[in-house]
Amino acid sequence: MPSSLILQAVLAGITSGFVYALIGVGIAVIFRGSHIVNAMQGEFAVVGALVAVFASAGAGLPLPLAATLGVAAGAGLGVLIDLLFVRPMKRRKASEESFLLLTIGLAFTLSAGALYFAGRDSHLLPPIVEGVYAIGGATIPNHALWLIALAVAVVAALRLFYRRTLLGLSMAAASADPDGATTIGIDVNRARLLTFLLGGGVGAVAGILVSPLIAMNYHMGIVYTLKGFAAAILGGIANPLGAVVGGIVLGLLESLAAVGFPSGYRDGVAMALLIVIMIVMPNGLIGRAGRVGG
Amino acid sequence: MTDLQKLRIGLTSLAVLAWAVAPLLVERSLLDVLNFSAILAIGGLGVGLLLGQCGIVNLGQSAFYGIGAYATAYGTTALGLPASAAMLIGMASAAAIALAIGWPMLRLGGFYLALATLAVGSIAGVLFFEWDWLTGGTLGVGGIPKLVVAGIELAEPMHYHYFIWPVVAGLSWLALNLIHSRQGLALRAMRDAAPAAEVLSIDLHRLKTVVFVISAVLGALAGSLFAHYVSFVSVQSFTVERSILFLLVPVVAGARSVPGIVIGALFVGLVPELLSALGDMHQVLFGLALVLVVTLLPGGITGLTTRWLARKEPA
Repeated sequence: MPSSLILQAVLAGITSGFVYALIGVGIAVIFRGSHIVNAMQGEFAVVGALVAVFASAGAGLPLPLAATLGVAAGAGLGVLIDLLFVRPMKRRKASEESFLLLTIGLAFTLSAGALYFAGRDSHLLPPIVEGVYAIGGATIPNHALWLIALAVAVVAALRLFYRRTLLGLSMAAASADPDGATTIGIDVNRARLLTFLLGGGVGAVAGILVSPLIAMNYHMGIVYTLKGFAAAILGGIANPLGAVVGGIVLGLLESLAAVGFPSGYRDGVAMALLIVIMIVMPNGLIGRAGRVGG
Repeated sequence: MTDLQKLRIGLTSLAVLAWAVAPLLVERSLLDVLNFSAILAIGGLGVGLLLGQCGIVNLGQSAFYGIGAYATAYGTTALGLPASAAMLIGMASAAAIALAIGWPMLRLGGFYLALATLAVGSIAGVLFFEWDWLTGGTLGVGGIPKLVVAGIELAEPMHYHYFIWPVVAGLSWLALNLIHSRQGLALRAMRDAAPAAEVLSIDLHRLKTVVFVISAVLGALAGSLFAHYVSFVSVQSFTVERSILFLLVPVVAGARSVPGIVIGALFVGLVPELLSALGDMHQVLFGLALVLVVTLLPGGITGLTTRWLARKEPA
């Protein structure tokens, strides 16, 4: 097998790995901040990307502005979901299954909404920079390099936010121990609202960054959600940094599997891996945290 | 007789009456939808047993539904087997596969397990697509013969209507017996107080696996009945969306109630059809309806009546 083919697969795997990482980070953010497993994280990506597509190609806005609108749409959607559904259900102390069912229902609704507004076509965004970069007989689109750089920046910023800022720390505290957090004056509801805002925004960023490489359509949300979950769980779900490691491992395995197997099996390989990892390595590849909420 | 019993008997006789006269009153297309609801009810019954009795969210029923449908499709067309043999092969393969993957997988709990079942469903989707020698891929398998029961070919929706609903009733009766059996008590103990059940030496893992296998067999049966009904199956019928529909059947109606499964299946089958007059918007509304059910009615539709009766007559 030519080494350039393997290198090409590795480059493609790392690129998609960072997309899964961003989705997984969004899932980890929401899980960390609300103890809800968000089965509609991929829909944030779809909504963000489609809003950006319509703002740039449809309304003719410049790309940075369109992308900002897309991220705002994702963040706004997150806020709405918290206010309309999560908050009343938290007040009623709904069960873990109900929240899972809620997000599944929302995924269904949003995917139908995307079909209604955007149709069955797949939509591409223009890349940040055109062209490809050649490395040792293989190529990587310039946009993919930007994608990786921006994904790293987002994850680093999130880590700083959760580790170094009072707001980030208080958000983590509000979810870990809502009663304790309330007694020291943290507004738990507000913290969860911000969590959903952040999770929705990060999800939209993932969708906007990937759409110049892989066209976005209404039913891709579920696939991204599953891959993001696999990434988050590989890395240990409560640990946002772990999702990056998980995403890259997943992306690499997938694209290397596509060298050996027919490419149709790609998604199957990722999902089989997800099941095996959950059974064999309950805390993820690098995680130490116990399996909460299981 | 308590109010609840009276209500139950009244509603059951109403349902039987409606079933008996439905083909005279409603159009063929609606009868068609009702038959699909019955298929949803059979697959959903399995998912409902898992959800209601074990607290397990199963998002992979489409895998077993597909196994049943393709066993019937391949068995009756390519191999020329009789319908009953193909159906049994489908249910047996579903049971074997459910046992093989369920045994290791059911050690997981909560959303990890839900996710694993979702992954199973999507792996099955990939395999159904790739193994086109068996499944015909996107082109599908056509020419599946209609079922013949007691010498009558079930060619028309009306024939199927009179065949499939008694099947649903029979399976529901079996499910009720299971729930009220010793095993059912063990299941409830496991669901409500797992550590206590374990202390009473109930083998939780074995019990969960058994229910998972039962659920898979029901899924396969639904798939076989679907294949015979439509005579044509392709991968589009066995997607993750289908698994979600199967899960919604018990969720809508309140997972712990067996008759509720029928109500849930009618809801999931009929509501999109009724809303379809609104054009493409209907799927969004259907999704919203589901979200509202989850948000506002924790016990589902049957939970609402039970709660109402409980308030009226404190037992």
